[in-house]
Amino acid sequence: MNTIGIVFTAEFMRRIRSRAFLAGTLIGAAGILVLTLLPAILGGMTSSSSKNVVLVGDPALTAQAKKALAGDFEVASMLPRLDQAPTAAFLDAHGKAVAVAVLTTHPGLRVTVYARDPSQFRESFGRDLATVQIGLALGVPAARVEASSKVPVDVHDVSGRFADAAAADAAKGVAYFFVILLYLSILLNAQSIMTSVAEEKTNRIAELLVATLDPSRLLAAKILASAATSFIQLGVWVATGIVGGRAVTGLLAHGAAATSGAPSPLGTIDVSSGEILAFLAFFAIGFTQYGVLYAAAASLINRTEDLGSVAGPLVIPVIIGFFLAMVAMNAPNDPRIVACSLIPLISPFVMFTRIAVSSVPVWQLVLSLALNVGSAALLAWASGKIYRVGLLLYGRPPSLKQVIATLRA
Amino acid sequence: MGTLVLSNVARSFGDVVAVRDVSFTVPPGTTFGLLGPNGAGKTTTMRMILGILIPDRGVVSWDGAAVTLPVRRRFGYLPEERGLYGKLKVRDQISYFGRLHGVPAPEDTRRADAWIERLGLGEYANRRCGELSKGNQQKVQIACAALHEPELLVLDEPFSGLDPVNAETLHSALRTLRDAGTTLILSSHQMWQIEDLCESFCVIADGTVRASGTLTELRAAWPTRIVEVEPVAAPLRSVLEAMPGARRLPDADRPTLAYEIPADADTAALLRRLVAAGDVTRFERVDPSLRDIYLRAIGAAA
Repeated sequence: MNTIGIVFTAEFMRRIRSRAFLAGTLIGAAGILVLTLLPAILGGMTSSSSKNVVLVGDPALTAQAKKALAGDFEVASMLPRLDQAPTAAFLDAHGKAVAVAVLTTHPGLRVTVYARDPSQFRESFGRDLATVQIGLALGVPAARVEASSKVPVDVHDVSGRFADAAAADAAKGVAYFFVILLYLSILLNAQSIMTSVAEEKTNRIAELLVATLDPSRLLAAKILASAATSFIQLGVWVATGIVGGRAVTGLLAHGAAATSGAPSPLGTIDVSSGEILAFLAFFAIGFTQYGVLYAAAASLINRTEDLGSVAGPLVIPVIIGFFLAMVAMNAPNDPRIVACSLIPLISPFVMFTRIAVSSVPVWQLVLSLALNVGSAALLAWASGKIYRVGLLLYGRPPSLKQVIATLRA
Repeated sequence: MGTLVLSNVARSFGDVVAVRDVSFTVPPGTTFGLLGPNGAGKTTTMRMILGILIPDRGVVSWDGAAVTLPVRRRFGYLPEERGLYGKLKVRDQISYFGRLHGVPAPEDTRRADAWIERLGLGEYANRRCGELSKGNQQKVQIACAALHEPELLVLDEPFSGLDPVNAETLHSALRTLRDAGTTLILSSHQMWQIEDLCESFCVIADGTVRASGTLTELRAAWPTRIVEVEPVAAPLRSVLEAMPGARRLPDADRPTLAYEIPADADTAALLRRLVAAGDVTRFERVDPSLRDIYLRAIGAAA
């Protein structure tokens, strides 16, 4: 076995057996399981008395309002009038309602709400009761207004990628899930590479290793080992998300909560092989770019306590990439987003999102890959030089001038 | 087995000159002591031998050729600062460094067990290195450096921080390697720890070679000798004071006339003159110790 293989195997085994890896993988899987359950849990919560409201006003008006509100609320009771401003005890007495809505019609429909949580109701009541307001103004039943206000919209994807809008929405869910995995994985594992390099430097093991093998091969073996463990971790997380999500969706479909609970988006996850390939490609590129950068930075410090100070600036492009990916979900073909999907360090997040939610022209994909692979090679070269020198630098950290001189050497 | 040759090597770090000009030759199978005060350039010289640092000037060669990576894998290194993975078990650690130097499995484990036995680490074989005492960690480090039966083993301050028992164990291990034909280079500023191990020495100070050779050669080059005469009597003292170039040394802890005389002085004639002057109960010509040579070479002699 060559030296890369020996270091890779040793690093891989060390990482996979470490408590931090096991704990991180299990906690991450538990977190993903909670995420898949959350919609069902929240759906269950909002299906109970938390949707109950009391309507007060003219019976004909409250009857129209009840129909209009049916999508968002359940009307626990309807009263012709209120003798005094309602209290919490009054709400408890009426089916543990969350609000009392008093409807008047002078001059148009006007709603006064007494609620346990005042922040929730203005928008939803205003939206739901708009048809009643228009009906009153036009002198027609609200049901007729509602029927007339619905415009059938049939959305088609010109690229033929998505069958309908629902499929495009589902793709966003997939992209969101994978971008979060990419973000967590790069951040956690780049930090792990950093800690490993810093440990070897501060323990002076680096000196022994550099005496035996080329520093670039040492760095490559470390990043490969970290990537391998990261793939395993990702595999566990993705499997947990898909299997857990499908199980929850299945339970909801067959259970009593099926009508009230929302299905988990991960339960209906449908990932194409193209998306998986794109994810793996951009994961590998992003991992390499950040891995070599973090390793080079770690080689410059003398104490593990100083890791935070060099890690901080390197987190910024990861966060920028993540937020731009969120923007790219809704505007994947905006020229600014297209440009960002070509910028190294950021594009692993942005381009992957674009691939997941839209049809990216082949030339953009090829250009992005070329720029990223090229920059990964450049970063690996520069980081390798800094790493080689940094590993044996003790005492005062090098100045920026010294680092530049190292690169030019 | 090859010959290690350093020819005018120099290395600086920014404005700091660590090694100005160092040259020496280590014949195959010999044990070589690299001596010098802290900051003399010993560690930098060793790192250049091992290819960890590239000399700014000069050449390091092994067996007449440049020291390339495949050659370096046949070398062993014990750095001054101990480098071990704290969470790795002793046997795994030793095997790992053996594999890095090209020892195939399962030979690496077999040899690791042999070294564990030789160094008395049996009860710690499955313990994590971070749990061991400094002395035992040092033994593990020696095993890591020697498992692949290196042609050249470079040891930077190998006895630093060891108690006498562990120092003797290490001594014994190094003698075994020396007897097996391994070329050893040891650095130290504790002369007595390496004097009996090494066949030749090089004293470095301020990045330059101040003295080098076997102990016999170094003594031969020493400009003075010491003579000790008893009893302390005025006639004997007069003879010694009259000798050209003689210098009286501070009183020893017993009544002795101690004088430094030129190395080429005729000690037989001196003895005859002393006997003629009075009763001489003791006359001894003392060769300089390695410590004396070292202190004079680095310019710290009294």
